[in-house]
Parts: sequence; C-alpha cells; structure tokens
Amino acid sequence: MDSKKLGKQLAVIILVIALFAGLDVAVYQLLIRRVISHHSPGMQKMSVEVADYVPFTGSENIFTAEDAERLEGDIPTIDGAAGLLPLYAGFVESIYPEDSVLYNGESYDASSKMHYTNTRGAYKDIVDGKCDLIICVQPSDEQIAYAAENGVEFEMVPIGYDAFVFIVNANNPVSDITTDQIRGIYSGRITNWSELGGKNMPIAAMHRNEGSGSQTALEKLMGDTPIVPDYTTLNGSPIGFSFRYYVTGMLAEGGVKMLAIDGVEPDIANIANGTYPVTSGIYAIYRKGETNENVYKAVDFMLSPEGQKIVEESGYVPVN
Amino acid sequence: MKDRTFGIILAVIAVIGIGVTTALLVYGYNLWKDISIVEMIANWGF
Repeated sequence: MDSKKLGKQLAVIILVIALFAGLDVAVYQLLIRRVISHHSPGMQKMSVEVADYVPFTGSENIFTAEDAERLEGDIPTIDGAAGLLPLYAGFVESIYPEDSVLYNGESYDASSKMHYTNTRGAYKDIVDGKCDLIICVQPSDEQIAYAAENGVEFEMVPIGYDAFVFIVNANNPVSDITTDQIRGIYSGRITNWSELGGKNMPIAAMHRNEGSGSQTALEKLMGDTPIVPDYTTLNGSPIGFSFRYYVTGMLAEGGVKMLAIDGVEPDIANIANGTYPVTSGIYAIYRKGETNENVYKAVDFMLSPEGQKIVEESGYVPVN
Repeated sequence: MKDRTFGIILAVIAVIGIGVTTALLVYGYNLWKDISIVEMIANWGF
C-alpha cells in the first residue's frame, strides 16, 4: 500500500516539475528567443542610438556642410523622427551655433534648440509651440486633426525620400510581394505564407505604435481597408515594416531581408527613378504663417546643394 | 513518504518553479524593451 502511495507521490512531483519545465520552455520559445539581440555592436549602431548622433561631438555618423552660413538671432527649435535623426543632426551641426545644442549625456535639455522626441512627440510639440521645425514623414490623420483643433496648419516642404520597406526573416523563401498582397496580409485576407508561394506557416503581421511614421505609412497604403490587430499569431513567421535606412544596416549580418514589391527592389536607384512603388517623402515641417525667418533659412539650406548632399550622404534620396 | 514531507517537497518545487518562470519573464521583458522590430523578425519563425 505504502509503495503504491509513494509511486503516486513521485508521479505528482515529476508531473509538477514537468509542468514548470514546459512553461519555462514556452516562455523561452515565445518570448526570450525572439528578443535576444544577435547583432554586433557595430550593426546595432546602424540603427538609431541618440548618443551616436549628437551634433558637435565629432560623431562620424553625422554628415555636415563645412562652410555653410550659421544661423544667428532667434534659433528655431528643431525635432523629428527617430529614423531621420542622422539627417537633422547633420543640418544642426552645419548651420546651428554650437552653444544652441545642450545634451546632458542622456537627453537634450529643455532649453536646447535641438530636441529628439520622435515622430509622435515632434508633431505634438510643433502644434503646442514647443518646437518650430520638425523633420518627419507625413502626419497621421490624428496628428492633422490635433493640429486643426489647435488652429495650426502644417507647411510641409519635401527635402528627401526614403523607401517604405517590408521585412521578413532571411530564411523565408518569399522574396517578392505585391501591394495587393500586402493589403491582403494586413487586412487579414491572407494569413499563411503558402498563399504567397512560401511554406505552410501562419503570417504574424507586426505593427508599430499608433502615430509613428511607419505605422502612418502603412495606414496610407491600406487606405480605407481596416488593419488586423497586431501579432495575428504567436507561431508562424512575421512580416514587419520600416523605412529602408533603418533596416539596411542590419542586412549585412543576416537575419532579415527586405521584400521586393511588385518585382522592384527597394534600392536607392529605384527610389530615385520612382519605380519602387511605396516611397515616402521626408519633410521639413513648420507652422503656416511662421514669423521666424531662421525657419525659412534652415529649410532653404536643406534644399541647397550642400543640404541635399547631407541628405544623400546620410543614406536617403535627395529631392534635387 | 509522509504527507507533510510530500507537501513540503511540492511547495519547494512550486516556489522554485514560479521563481524561475518569473525571472525568465522579467528577463524577457527587459530584452523586449530594447529590441528593434528588425531584430525580432530575424529571431522569429525559422
């Protein structure tokens, strides 16, 4: 009788241990394995780290114009998108006075003429009057509505272009996709990679934060078609999106690849000649009726040959 | 095995198990806060 009881007790102990082990394996497979960074510090630098793009620190990541005329007087506060930080850091280092940029090692001081609050913060701050000039892709409908509610209209000057790219795991056999298929995936009509010529594996459609530049670009691409909720599956293989600049640094180490769209690769030549179908404008944006002349001088510089060279050297496609 | 001993063993296993799982979740959450969408795609699916 005792040995039977002991056997049951041991079975319960083994079962409980197995349950916890199974739970931990699931946590590892579903969470930790996906979020461990395998990229080298060198590659990680290619994604945007604020400290690597602080003007006047001798950063090799910032491209500048040597002999540009510096602004004097009322210096406009500039802000912008994360993916465009290299660009406006280059503009600031080229034409802003050095003492107008105040970085405390972790963030920009409130009195600094350069800020970094990303797309959502930048659009809010220009409406609220906390900054005068932002470098972003087009605003979302909510950002336009927020501006209208506060009596602000945006003046948007195109200064460059970048490709809106869709990325998948490098081992995914699918390399080409159509714009209609993208709409199918993000509307929930296409749910398996086999429908695109890939493996029989569910598609996890990843999103960005509401109001981010790339999420807004997806919403514009989808038009009136409703977008499915984020992460439509925990298994399977994901598709995500970003801007080309953000992604290209990661490609060299493998792990991801950008998809050709409608048979066209998202490279500089195809963006410049207009054959890549989903490019996104990069804009210098200020309030309509702006009275600070330095805002116009800064935008003029961005459109000048020196400014456009910074656009190109920073990895984007110039407008001129 | 006495019921009391059995209960203590189960309790110890449960405490260790919950502790390890919680530690893994906290560790994963901290990694998740810093990882880019690009790296997440690189790690997921194949």
